[in-house]
Amino acid sequence: MNLFRTRVPFILMALVALVAALAAVACGGDDDDDEPAGAGQQFTLGDLTIVDPWVRSTTTDVTAAYMTIKSKGAADTLVSASSPIAGMVQLHDVITEGATSKMQEKPGGFPVPASGQVELKPGGYHIMLMDLEKQPKEGETVELTLKFEKAGEITITAPVKKAADSGADMNHDSHGSSSGTGSPTASSGMGSPTAGAGY
Amino acid sequence: MPRTPWRTLALALAALALVPAALACSGDDDDSAAGDAQYMGAIVTPPIEKPDAVLMDENGRPFDLRKETEGYVTLLYVGYTHCPDICPTHLYEISEALKKLDPDIRKQIRVVFATADPERDTPEQLKQYLDTFDPDFIGLTGTRDLMDQFQVALGLQPATRTDLGGGNYAVNHAAYVMAFTKDNYAYTVYPSGMGQKEWLNDLPLLVKKGFRSE
Repeated sequence: MNLFRTRVPFILMALVALVAALAAVACGGDDDDDEPAGAGQQFTLGDLTIVDPWVRSTTTDVTAAYMTIKSKGAADTLVSASSPIAGMVQLHDVITEGATSKMQEKPGGFPVPASGQVELKPGGYHIMLMDLEKQPKEGETVELTLKFEKAGEITITAPVKKAADSGADMNHDSHGSSSGTGSPTASSGMGSPTAGAGY
Repeated sequence: MPRTPWRTLALALAALALVPAALACSGDDDDSAAGDAQYMGAIVTPPIEKPDAVLMDENGRPFDLRKETEGYVTLLYVGYTHCPDICPTHLYEISEALKKLDPDIRKQIRVVFATADPERDTPEQLKQYLDTFDPDFIGLTGTRDLMDQFQVALGLQPATRTDLGGGNYAVNHAAYVMAFTKDNYAYTVYPSGMGQKEWLNDLPLLVKKGFRSE
C-alpha cells in the first residue's frame, strides 16, 4: 500500500519536472526539432542551417521575414539582409515597455549561439522589409540574402504566408495555439500588463 | 464600486491568469483544469472604460463607438497597417479564433482596429488591410488629435514614431488587445503572445457572463 503512496507522488513530480522542462524548451524556442514532417524547408551554409523561412503577405509597402537559424558549430551573427523586392531591409526587435510595443533595429544583428539557434518569429526578432516594390501575396516566394559575420552570405527563397501556421495548415493546436507568439528572449510580452497595474 | 476588495480579487486573478498564459507558451495543452469563468487574458485594474468617441470608419463614415458596439463584446486594438509584426499577428489570431467559435457567440462580438498612424491609414487603406483578415473587422481613423485623444482615453500614451530612415517609420503603439464586455468596460487585455487558444477560452465567457459574473 505504502508503495503506491510514495510512488505516485514521485511519478507526479517527474511529470511536473518534465512538463516544466518542456515548457522551458518551448519558450526558449527549441521546439521544432520534432516537428512533424511537412514544411521543413532548409538551407545550409557551413555550420549554419536556415529552417522554415517565411515572409508575411501584406497590403502595404512593409512586411517581415521570419525563420530559425541553427548552428551546429561556432557562434555567428546575422548582420544584415537584403531582398530584390525591398528598397530597405533592417533587422528588428520588438520591445515591450509597459503598455507600449516598440519595434526597433537590433544593434549588431541577431546572434546565433554556438551549437544553438536563434528564432525569428512574430512578436520578437524579424527581418523588416521596407519600400517594397511589390506586395508579396500568399503562394508567392521571396528571395532573401542573409549576411553572416563569419559564415558569409547565402541567398534563400521564402514562401509568402499570412501567418506562421497558415498555408501548410499545420495543426498547431497540438503545440499550443499562439504560434504567432513568443519572443526570442521569452521574457518580454506576456504578463507585462498585469505587472504595470497602473494604467 | 467597492474599490479595495475588487482590487485584491483582480490581483489574485491576475496572478492566476499568468499561469495558463505561461503554460500556453509551453505548448502544453492541459487546460482541463480551467474551471468556470477562468479567464486567460491578463486582468487590468482598474478596468478600462470604453471611450465615448466618434471616429471615421473604413468606409469613410462616422462611427460612434459606444452606439455601434452597444450590446456587443468589443475587441479593440490600436495599431497601424504598416506594422509588419505584432498587428497582423493579433488580427490573424483573432480572425482564426472567430472562425472556430459557435456562430451564436461570434455574432455578439465586434472587432475594432483603431489606427495610431492616421497620416498613412486612410479609410481605404484600413479597409484593404482588414479585409485580408475578416471583412467584418471595423477600421477607425481620424485626425491626429482625435486619435491621440482616443488613445489617452484608453489609458495609453499617444503613439510615437521611431524613424527608420528613408522616410520610413515605425509606430510605437499599444502592446495588447482590449476586450470590452457588454457593460462597456475592459477587464482583460491580451498582450502579444496570446492567441487563438486564449481567445477561444475567453470569448465565450466574455459573451455569456461578462467579467463580473453574477
